Amino acid sequence: MKKLITGNEAIAHGALRAGVKAVTGYPGTPSTGCITSLLAMDLKDTHVEWSVNEKVALEVATGVAWSGHRALCTMKMSGLNVAYDTLISVAYSGCEGGLVIYVADDPGANAGMCEQDSRYFALMADMPMLEPDSVAEAYQMIRFAFDLSEKIKGPVFIRLVTAIADSFAEVEVEPPAPVSQAAPLLIMDIQKYTKAGSIIATNQHRELIKRLEQAGQVIDQSGINKTTFSKKVGGLGIIAAGIASAYLAEGFEAAAPFGFNWEETSTLIIKATNPFAASEVRQMLAHCQTILVLEELEPLIEKGVYLEAQRSGYNGRIIGKLDGVFSRIGEYGVQQVVQGIATGLKLSIPDDLFKGNTQALNLAAARPITVCAGCPHRGTFIAIEKAIKKLGLKKSEVMVTGDIGCTILGMNPPFNLVWSEISMGASLGLAQGYVRAGVKTPVIATIGDSTFFHAGIPGLINAVQHQVDLTLVIMDNRWTAMTGMQANPGTPCANTLNSFREVDIARIIPSLGIDHFWTIDPFKIKASVEVISQAMQLPGVKVVLARQECAIQAQRQTGIIGKIRVVEENCNLCKLCLMITGCSAFSLGSSSIKIDPELCYGCGVCVETCNREALIEEAI
Amino acid sequence: MKYDIFFAGVGGQGILTIGEVLAEVAAYKDTPAKFYPSKGMAQRGGFVKAQLRLGRENVGPNIPQRGADMVIAMEQSESLKAIPFIKSGSDFVLYGDIWAPTAVSLGKAPYPALDQIKEQVALAGAHLVYINPANLPQFNGEPVHPNLFVLGVIIGQTKLRDLIHSEDVEHIIQSRFKRNVEANLYAYRSGTTVVC
Repeated sequence: MKKLITGNEAIAHGALRAGVKAVTGYPGTPSTGCITSLLAMDLKDTHVEWSVNEKVALEVATGVAWSGHRALCTMKMSGLNVAYDTLISVAYSGCEGGLVIYVADDPGANAGMCEQDSRYFALMADMPMLEPDSVAEAYQMIRFAFDLSEKIKGPVFIRLVTAIADSFAEVEVEPPAPVSQAAPLLIMDIQKYTKAGSIIATNQHRELIKRLEQAGQVIDQSGINKTTFSKKVGGLGIIAAGIASAYLAEGFEAAAPFGFNWEETSTLIIKATNPFAASEVRQMLAHCQTILVLEELEPLIEKGVYLEAQRSGYNGRIIGKLDGVFSRIGEYGVQQVVQGIATGLKLSIPDDLFKGNTQALNLAAARPITVCAGCPHRGTFIAIEKAIKKLGLKKSEVMVTGDIGCTILGMNPPFNLVWSEISMGASLGLAQGYVRAGVKTPVIATIGDSTFFHAGIPGLINAVQHQVDLTLVIMDNRWTAMTGMQANPGTPCANTLNSFREVDIARIIPSLGIDHFWTIDPFKIKASVEVISQAMQLPGVKVVLARQECAIQAQRQTGIIGKIRVVEENCNLCKLCLMITGCSAFSLGSSSIKIDPELCYGCGVCVETCNREALIEEAI
Repeated sequence: MKYDIFFAGVGGQGILTIGEVLAEVAAYKDTPAKFYPSKGMAQRGGFVKAQLRLGRENVGPNIPQRGADMVIAMEQSESLKAIPFIKSGSDFVLYGDIWAPTAVSLGKAPYPALDQIKEQVALAGAHLVYINPANLPQFNGEPVHPNLFVLGVIIGQTKLRDLIHSEDVEHIIQSRFKRNVEANLYAYRSGTTVVC
């Protein structure tokens, strides 16, 4: 049946078509949609979970694969960094059932964080990596990935980029394959599943290298890397990897009016990044006068081409990033194809063919991302600001480390409160470093609930063990929110599809030996300021749990919690409410502030900012 | 027929829904469609963009600058972010809603005037189809969803109608929005007949 689905959904449907027994992962744009779509399917024979972090997700998936069943583990590039400690050891050990790791990279950093090129992880772990260049191909290739994993008995990467993971195309989706009900294997083999000693580890390393060689043979036989040669020897040879190859046809068409003839051009489309397609590259070098390499981010394939060129005594030109023609930053498109062709064939193609009127961009109003109307984090940010002021300090004197997720939005106006964003859980370690460096003013760490479970707990334990003077504010909105409301261990009764038990942060904190612990309601500013300012003055580790459900999610389930009315005669348009809260439900009327009833959640935070009683809470 | 559309707006306006409906109509009529919505880290009110590439099986998701056969923008300032992508001679559809960032409301930051947008659209050689939000029709005393109204204007007034037929759009609206079908169809049909 033909379906309009995203690349993430293609991975999900493809894995079901491959009879996958378990799918695990941690949310992260642009990879999130795969597990989200599977959870919506209410699957009987396939276990699907949001794990506490990517490392645990990979370990769960590995256990399934070591028991002889098929498992898929999904993550964004940052998550791969977390999982890699486990992954390198699993790569050494290999697997029984197929184990596929789906990682999504983000050239152009559309979703923030970094332009990490995860292809290098495949090189480091000597693992095969497949890179589909379209949604439809992602659906097909995930099945090949499982087969390949079982043939070589080792884990296999499949990598998408944002532009495929999040884009929709029509795919012929076949029904899921039956999931194997075979009894799980229990293989006791310390030579394979432990790393005890040099002999075991080096033997496993030897096996790992052999597995990658074997993968190369399977890939060669499958023909997924495709070469097409021009009739006449010489001319331009284009080597395109992953999504870059999706723009070739469009580029050929755009270059045709300027004298480009595709029949005189050879191409090598690389869909298996690792192992390196050495024999195909050698054929290209033997056939072509000039080589154009098209790949996003790092010049990984390009360096391999240089190596083969050196070995084969090639004396033609190689066009790519290493000669400065292309950038290592951002996404590729048709413009790189055309520019490469023009450079390689010395065609005169106007520079401005794909250069629009960009001066218009300078006129656009800055739109810093901020918290939604009704977001509980707004109350927490305001309460921290007020607590700092109450203690006679300025924001510029109080270090507030930040973490990953919606809680980072405190960095932007109107709060300008949070100083740093590094990685999951880093707020805690960084805060301790500032204290160790001798910062005398109070140091505050801020973190969300999902991030706390993911990687915050070790940092907190370290602070307790070493008795560091810091205040941790856990902003618990009960969901992994920024990636689109996924359940985490603290989400109350979140997952009705699987068995699920809520893990309560309010019970974890006291068990760690933390003497000063409060729970606050971030919609109650005055009370929250009292608690936070008190915490900031006490020695040792203090934890404030600011707990209130994400307004978007709560509204979906139970509707708004209140209504705020503007008392027009009291309002003198001082804009204090807008200045302090930055709430998007406000707009300016001619004589008073206005509240958009479609946006207002009724949190009441603005009421406490008004000194003229112009905003009042009404029951609903 | 190849036809590329670039969308720009803010989260919460339903602009991505326009793209989804058009992609579904294309799929329903066996026209190849690639739709790439991009929300970035946007919460409600943040910049969103999307790209729809119709009529080509073998094509990447990103439209190059000067490559879009149409721009659909639903926020005055954010429409500027689509200007580099419009092809000379193409339709630049702007629903002139204004979502002022806080700094603008506080008088601390400038906001582009409609005349400035017009000037930039003209510099890009495109044809502005301006939809005044004040003309948004009402259904049973409530303003209709602007996105379906805008979709109506597009099908009623731009070259896209050569590729996408109005009855197919209505079919998808009916199958997609099972609740409030009447109000949604009204919003769409009002758009198809309005003169901009």
